[in-house]
Amino acid sequence: MSILAAAAFIVMTVLVYGGSKLAHRRWRNLILSPLILTPVAIMAILALCRIPYETYNEGGRWLSAMVGPATVALAVPLHKNAALLKKHALEISAGVAAGWMTGTAAALGICRLFHLDRALADSLLLRATTTPIALAVSGMIGGISTLTAVFVLITGILGTVLGPLVIRWTRIRSEVAQGVLMGSSAHTAGAHKAFELGAVPGSIASVSMLLSAFLSLFLIPLVAGFAA
Amino acid sequence: MNFANLLRGAAQMLFFVAIYEAMTLLSSALSLHMPGSVLGLALVFILLRTGVIKLGWIELGAGWLLAEMLLFFIPPAAGLIQFGSLLAGSGLQILLVILVSSVIVMISAGGLAQLAGRRRERAEER
Repeated sequence: MSILAAAAFIVMTVLVYGGSKLAHRRWRNLILSPLILTPVAIMAILALCRIPYETYNEGGRWLSAMVGPATVALAVPLHKNAALLKKHALEISAGVAAGWMTGTAAALGICRLFHLDRALADSLLLRATTTPIALAVSGMIGGISTLTAVFVLITGILGTVLGPLVIRWTRIRSEVAQGVLMGSSAHTAGAHKAFELGAVPGSIASVSMLLSAFLSLFLIPLVAGFAA
Repeated sequence: MNFANLLRGAAQMLFFVAIYEAMTLLSSALSLHMPGSVLGLALVFILLRTGVIKLGWIELGAGWLLAEMLLFFIPPAAGLIQFGSLLAGSGLQILLVILVSSVIVMISAGGLAQLAGRRRERAEER
């Protein structure tokens, strides 16, 4: 695999992403959300040109590797909004705890209802946890790491689309609550989407994402196994 | 955007890459069950709070990384195509679990946060 081809796949991804963002700005509808349109367009290009995903990912993995450093960079908005986070500490922790508990209970219940296989169900319990922590916990409880990563990803994509809709339907106007909603339901992807609503919801969502991930880190090993 | 700014931003992005790589190594060396990204976030946050590093030194690069974070999710999202058979089998059930629990998380987390905020504001007014 040549470096040139890898670079070409990176450029292609960036171009398709840029195009999707323009399209999204022009026609504000949901299907055109860049996080849905871009992967679909790339899948179509790969299928048309008969390029295997592994070949594409020689370039693509350089982009996905930047999620780690970007997560570190969340320290900057957290630092800038430290006073705000301190002021709203109670609402944030109450909201995150409530969301984590009801979400986990709902996932447990529905998995049981469908009689899903244990490894599948345990992996689903981690759906709203940021990928690196979800993978660490998945290893501890005997989930399947690729599946966990897939579920986390689907949750993130759905959350960026559903979050703003739920905010509109439930008339959640408080910026703090909007941040808590996005971060605890859709981890890093939700936190990123929340920055589009504003710096306040974005920072609150980042903290909520972290708090929720820590709850999963300590509590999921205790509840794993009850889902199947 | 001039050339000097471009270099500055790129160097600052490299700083975050270096911190992330170092913390990932540290985490596996000490076998902490903690991802390098979270350790790195905590470290940089502490360094910023204590004033060891100044906000201006890293703000531009952080802004760039965060502005295009969704781009970094694209390659794995395109990789969902590999899981076609799994998603065709139990896909509907899996989707329902994720969809329903996500909406429940949103309503309860957002709702309680808004409620708690209103109560606090009312308490402060008194």
